[in-house]
Amino acid sequence: MLQSGRNEAGATPMLTISNVSKSFGGVRALVDASLDLYAGEVHALLGENGAGKSTLLKTLAGVHTADSGVIKLNGQEFKQGSTKASIEQGVAVIYQEPSLFPDLTLAENVFIGRQPIKSGLVDWHTMEVESKKLFEGLGINLNPTAKARGLSIADQQIVEIAKALSTEAQVIVMDEPTAALSAKEVDRLFEVANRLRETGHAVVFVSHRLDEVFALCQRMTVMRDGSTVGTQLIADTSEAQVIQLMVGREVAELFPKLDVQPGEIVLKVENLSSDGNFQGVSFEVRAGEILGIAGLVGSGRSEVVRAVFGVDSYDQGSVTLLGQRVPKASPSKSMSRGMALVPEDRRQQGLFMPTSIARNSAVTLLKKLSRGIFLSGKNESKVADKWGKVLQLKSASLLDPVERLSGGNQQKVVLAKWLATEPKLLIVDEPTRGIDVGTKAEVHRLLSEKAKEGMAVVMVSSELPEVLGMSDRVLVMREGRLVGSFERSEATPEKVIGAATGAMNKA
Amino acid sequence: MRSLKNLVRARELPVFAAFLIVMGGTSLAVPHFFSGKVAIDLFLGVAVIAILAVGQTFVIVMRHIDLSVGSTVGFSAFLIGDAYSKGMGLGTGMFLAIGLGLLVGAMNGFLVAYLKLPSLVVTLASLYIVRGIFNEFATGQTIIESEVPPAINWLGLNRFFGIPYLFLIGFALVIIAGFVMKRSRAGRDLYAIGSNPQAAELAGIPVARRVFFAFVATGGITGLAGAVLLGRFNSANPNSGLGLELLVVAACVVGGVTIAGGAGTVYGAFIGAILLQGITLSIGALGIPQFWQQAVNGSLIIGAIALDRYLSTRVKTTTIMGSKNE
Repeated sequence: MLQSGRNEAGATPMLTISNVSKSFGGVRALVDASLDLYAGEVHALLGENGAGKSTLLKTLAGVHTADSGVIKLNGQEFKQGSTKASIEQGVAVIYQEPSLFPDLTLAENVFIGRQPIKSGLVDWHTMEVESKKLFEGLGINLNPTAKARGLSIADQQIVEIAKALSTEAQVIVMDEPTAALSAKEVDRLFEVANRLRETGHAVVFVSHRLDEVFALCQRMTVMRDGSTVGTQLIADTSEAQVIQLMVGREVAELFPKLDVQPGEIVLKVENLSSDGNFQGVSFEVRAGEILGIAGLVGSGRSEVVRAVFGVDSYDQGSVTLLGQRVPKASPSKSMSRGMALVPEDRRQQGLFMPTSIARNSAVTLLKKLSRGIFLSGKNESKVADKWGKVLQLKSASLLDPVERLSGGNQQKVVLAKWLATEPKLLIVDEPTRGIDVGTKAEVHRLLSEKAKEGMAVVMVSSELPEVLGMSDRVLVMREGRLVGSFERSEATPEKVIGAATGAMNKA
Repeated sequence: MRSLKNLVRARELPVFAAFLIVMGGTSLAVPHFFSGKVAIDLFLGVAVIAILAVGQTFVIVMRHIDLSVGSTVGFSAFLIGDAYSKGMGLGTGMFLAIGLGLLVGAMNGFLVAYLKLPSLVVTLASLYIVRGIFNEFATGQTIIESEVPPAINWLGLNRFFGIPYLFLIGFALVIIAGFVMKRSRAGRDLYAIGSNPQAAELAGIPVARRVFFAFVATGGITGLAGAVLLGRFNSANPNSGLGLELLVVAACVVGGVTIAGGAGTVYGAFIGAILLQGITLSIGALGIPQFWQQAVNGSLIIGAIALDRYLSTRVKTTTIMGSKNE
């Protein structure tokens, strides 16, 4: 890849972000973040999940307003806090999940809210001709009169880029655009991004795939814990250096991992495959063991554990629990054999938000707690009480609806609900996403204690420190396959990130 | 050529075809069914529903619903007659009727757009509130023919080249609203809001303002429909318009205005209203017990939803690049 030859000393930046900070409640999402962006460059923005990339992008998009700091565009103060103002000032953000209107035509998706007007009326013909020109300018053949429904993610991104160009955007921000693309589609996107660079646009490219960053970008900025920790020319850096910058912190006492002597094999997964999701996944978990599954979002981790538990079906392979084959696609059978899954998205999959804490905790035990066909409220409260104490749940009353609890306490209720079934195997998917540090430590302590008591735990997590701090063994997935397995002693951040991003293969 | 292709692919076409089949089938079974009188009945029956369906389309396209229209249209009709009977004239009556509609619309719109309350619940509440105030106001009285303003009475009884004026009023409104929905930015914004509300916010569309004014417009149109309702029956009482809101929603859904928002036209809703009215007349002519009519209407709604679902899943599998997508 050619360097643009952009010299920082030579030109003035198009966009300057200086010492921008932003907090949500007590959580500091951005801390003195700074970034310079030049016309004619593709600039990579890197960092672990939760490093603050999204908050920064959303500030540029006009979704958030920074608490402090200055953003300047072409020397002028950038007006924040309005998506419309951001578009008008020439900043376009293309989200990982493109936000098109499925019922409208592609032409209208490009021009919505800014349709060409002829004698006071929307001029459909001009709109379609102009969209066609934009698509062709990007080298893509799309029909402007087709509806957006059913368009592939890759094509949706092209429509979003066309939309950005139609607003005469100077700064085009792409948030993990390649996460859902095939290799061929990635190549096409790169061509488009290079075209944008050549026409004097400034492109921000967020990606977890380092090989892509090195192939496409001229400079990169790394974020960690809400701050920008370094900007470098791609030509002057190596993948190892980037990983070093991204990780950069100590794995602290947040992880009270107890030493265990693994017992008998609890779960055995053999050659599990599901078309389009994952291929040939095999692993074992022993009693007392915590098995961490690392990998990028979209690498197939959640899909595997969902298939193991029976939420989704699979095409090939087998799941064996304590020597007995587990029938596929039946969560209720998995539960009765002693399996439990704490899902990734607790709002949607784990809790009945308007229902009481007591009922949520006991919902997995309905049969046990019922007298005849009626549920006994007393029994329900007893279970909730017990687990509320174990988990140090902070709530006024167990009869409060779950939606009134904080995220951390909601997560505890989900855990209570599954621990109440006293499972042999507990699967947790992103157990501490979006919860504060204190609660995080409590959840970790609990997982560790349960493992010590002989429960087998499978933990999917995007947070590297968590995976490394809690797991006896770490499996790494990439693009639907298991690409690495590390014992606790040999699992280092560099190895795990390397395997997850594919950097290892080339070394 | 292209407009012909669009016509063939239009979602409205099968609805109109169904109407022709119903009318044709009934004509075969009951000779002389399709007479001038049936045509007039059809036109008159469609008029009020068509006007209300215009307003309802604004709202449903945004993924909302307005159940208050039945109460408002009845109260509006009553107000026009009441004002006239108290010597206030047609102008004042129309002012009150449309004013009531705008007020109810503004209330609904404010609660839905700015306080983010669900429109189903908000408009269900205003359905009861308006009907309650209406009953209190009317105290059991009925507007009789002599209390109907002569201009409205005249519109209700007369025709233009054989077509009732009331129908023409509705038809004109449908054409105007259809044009506005297709050719104005504000109209297109309604589709965008219903198709993907979050994306509409991100695209800089003033979502709350659009939702508010769409409810206000629906209210105003509903007030106007009160005059047509009064002209149609030449009377009004505290039960006027009772249950009409569901018939209107049915007309919209049958006509291809998808309840999930983002798709459908006022023309479709209009044709939906014609189909429902045609079925009413056919069932009467065939001597089928009246309650079957409601069952048929219900089946039509399910059929329409099934058709929409089928059409949208069929589109889903034909991606343009042929690349993988969930």
